[in-house]
Amino acid sequence: MTERLYGLGMRDATLGYGRGGPVIEDLSLTIPSRRFTALLGPNGCGKSTILHGLAGLHTPQCGEVVLDGKSIRALGTKALARRVGLLAQTASAPDGLTVGELVRQGRYPHRPVFGAWSGADEDAVESALRRTSMTGYRDRPVDSLSGGQRQRAWIAMTLAQQSDILLLDEPTTYLDLAHQIDVLGLMRRLVDQEGATVVAVLHDLVQAARYADHLVLIRGGRIVAQGAPISVLTPENVKAVFGVDVVILSDPDSAAPICLPRCNGAATSNPQA
Amino acid sequence: MIRVFLVLLALLAVFFVLALALGDQRLPFSVVLGALLGAGETPGHVQTIVTGLRLPRATLAILVGAALGVAGAICQAVLRNPLAEPGLLGINAGAALAAMMIIVQAGTVPESLLPLATFAGAVTMIAVIFGFAWRGGTTSLRIILIGVGLSAMAGAGASFIATFGEIALVQRAMVWLAGSLQDSRWIKVQTLLIWASPVFLMIWMAARELDLIALGDTVARGRGQQVDLQRVLMMLACAVLAGASVAAAGPIAFVGLAAPHMARALAGRRHVALIPAAALIGALIVLVADLAARRAMPPLQLPVGVVTALLGAPFFGYLLWKKRYD
Amino acid sequence: MTRPGAASAVLLLLLSCGLLVLTVWAMGVGASEISMSRVAQALWNPSGERADIVVLQVRLPRVLAGVTAGAALAVAGAIMQAMTGNPLAEPGLLGVNAGAAFAVVCALSFLDITGMSHLIWAAFTGAAGAAALVYALGAGPNPVRLVLAGVVVTSFLGAVTMAILMLDVQALDTVRFWTAGSLKGRQLEDVASVLPYLLGSLVLALLFAGQFTAMSLGSTVARGLGQNLALWRGLAALVVVGLAGSAVAMAGPLGFVGLVVPHMVRMRTGAEYRRILPYCLIGGAVLTLASDTLPRALWGRDVPAGITLAFLGAPFFIWLARSHGALRS
Repeated sequence: MTERLYGLGMRDATLGYGRGGPVIEDLSLTIPSRRFTALLGPNGCGKSTILHGLAGLHTPQCGEVVLDGKSIRALGTKALARRVGLLAQTASAPDGLTVGELVRQGRYPHRPVFGAWSGADEDAVESALRRTSMTGYRDRPVDSLSGGQRQRAWIAMTLAQQSDILLLDEPTTYLDLAHQIDVLGLMRRLVDQEGATVVAVLHDLVQAARYADHLVLIRGGRIVAQGAPISVLTPENVKAVFGVDVVILSDPDSAAPICLPRCNGAATSNPQA
Repeated sequence: MIRVFLVLLALLAVFFVLALALGDQRLPFSVVLGALLGAGETPGHVQTIVTGLRLPRATLAILVGAALGVAGAICQAVLRNPLAEPGLLGINAGAALAAMMIIVQAGTVPESLLPLATFAGAVTMIAVIFGFAWRGGTTSLRIILIGVGLSAMAGAGASFIATFGEIALVQRAMVWLAGSLQDSRWIKVQTLLIWASPVFLMIWMAARELDLIALGDTVARGRGQQVDLQRVLMMLACAVLAGASVAAAGPIAFVGLAAPHMARALAGRRHVALIPAAALIGALIVLVADLAARRAMPPLQLPVGVVTALLGAPFFGYLLWKKRYD
Repeated sequence: MTRPGAASAVLLLLLSCGLLVLTVWAMGVGASEISMSRVAQALWNPSGERADIVVLQVRLPRVLAGVTAGAALAVAGAIMQAMTGNPLAEPGLLGVNAGAAFAVVCALSFLDITGMSHLIWAAFTGAAGAAALVYALGAGPNPVRLVLAGVVVTSFLGAVTMAILMLDVQALDTVRFWTAGSLKGRQLEDVASVLPYLLGSLVLALLFAGQFTAMSLGSTVARGLGQNLALWRGLAALVVVGLAGSAVAMAGPLGFVGLVVPHMVRMRTGAEYRRILPYCLIGGAVLTLASDTLPRALWGRDVPAGITLAFLGAPFFIWLARSHGALRS
């Protein structure tokens, strides 16, 4: 994949859903290319809206979403989907759809309307199944799988899309710890080994700091802080975004910041963190 | 609260008199009054029009409407679903199928069996709905869907009979199936009163049980209510009311839906006030709808069920639209 | 297409042969029994005898109407289920058939339109209007709302239709059997004038089949995959209206075909629409033809297919309502 100069971002974008005011207003955001970005914030802060906006699902009322310096509105829906893949949060497969069939749908943007199934399509599906360790489940219906396997099947579909930018809406929610680590590890490998750009909405600050390169803290549709985990995860920022008092420790393995809620007023503030 | 009931009663009285005065032959108010009181100078044919034709019709309209309104209020409370209605649940369709069987066999089966048959049809329908919907408990959602399915089956049964019955009898049955008050006689008024009034009184006295049921199973159980028993009894009462009104006037749609809603808006959610208010509003709706059905395209008379469907379906649509974000 | 593709194609071929045999047999059933070989002779090499006339002018249009209307409604049902993500979606339940029937009655009664080639446009308009109304009222996450909206629109249009028919005896006489979903008394030229629209819509449906699988994953996923949802939803709606409208114009408002067939097909094919739609086409044709023919063959009575279908389909609907995951809570 060639070097992208600008990557994905938003310029003064205002996004909302028909009813009520805009969810985010005049937001500018640049997603670092070939990095793992985590969007963090309380429920209803607009994380998913930003993600959907970046994926072109909502057209901004003002401003624009930019890919490589050009508005994504200039791109067709399929052309955009070849560059940007989205894993939706509440996706549910129709009854009886097998993993193989689901993953094949990921090839949708690569196929002309009446085009036949090509060798490149088959390779992309095989590779997506392999990378998510789902090859053995190919003929199993998605609705018969466990939560973790189901999530991996959806990720495989997104991978089969072969977009260099992946947007994931809460990919680890409802998964147990082992599967969460699994999914995050896969994202990390995609960034490190294949040069992908990953943007994920996450809830766990510790995991975000451990796996992501770039954190964006959001509250009320505004960006409170963004940057490397070590500079973003400060008690002040966490208090400002989540309204929770925390202490920040350091992971002895990776030096990633670890965010720990305080016992009620028991601990004193830690000025150096 | 008292004022609401007074206004409703006054409106009912006004339309009652209008229903007696208006028709192919328009009668002045004084003549209507004279005929009602049996004044000597009223001509014989006027007397017949008022007390023999229009009076039973208007009375029947009021009773049918009241019965449907209360049946709807019960349905909505028991199923805890604002869109529940005897017609939607297939209760009317069950009663109609039973009635269709009786009417088309008119030669061999006496017509006096009609109320009994419709009642049996309505109760059977409720039993079948609950039987199917029961999976270690019921949900109102499943009850409604199964009602829709069964109502389609009962409708197919009625069409089946209509296809093979004797054409004259089928034609009569079709008018009746549309929900019509055209054939109102005092005997029907009597039958409806006998069936519906004790049930109405019982329901009114048990209004507190409905208040409790409407709060949800867990809450009601916590207050010591035998929820499943109450639910079955209440739905039986609903079947009696719906069945009796279907016997009298055929399946009249949407009154059971609209009346309780308006009643809730006017009289609140407590069933001791809601039940009589739903009865009054139901009566008012059917009385006005029948007046419209008679006068909209004279000399032709539309079935009142067509008019209530024309008015009620948009109302239902509005309810769906209003709750679209639920 | 995939590995099970060959087996699937063989099965489809077998089913088609079954349908063909059923069709020929159905043309023999009726007041005068005609043997299958005689029917075949009447079709390939008519000699103008009475049996030839019965087959070509009475039985052929009836069977043709049943087969094509059933295929169209089953395919329309499958597409509607993909579009709405609602397992209960179906042209009959969602009021599309009632809309088409209502518009046809209006055209007959008020505009004095009688030719089928004009009535078909009334049917399309009515189907589209009702579909739009039901969708506007009932769209949302709860699958029951759409059904309720369908029931309400159906009963409203039914009431208006009934009022019109009560005022217009002539129209009543024309449509009495048709509104009950009877295939009796179809004229070959009527069937022939609807057939191009119906077949055209079927071809479009099969061509677009791949789109419906992406659509059935839900709007967020489909858009994430780059599907132009506005475009494809519009085209899908157009196809559904074309299918349901022409099916209703041909055979009256037949319910439940669009519900029963796609669900039974899915049990065998899974959820990929490229496989679902061809099976639906055959299955819908078989079910409707059987509903029309079996009562005649077994009891010698002419029950409207719509009634038989309701007797078969409503229990299936109830079973679905009892057992389907999305409706269980």
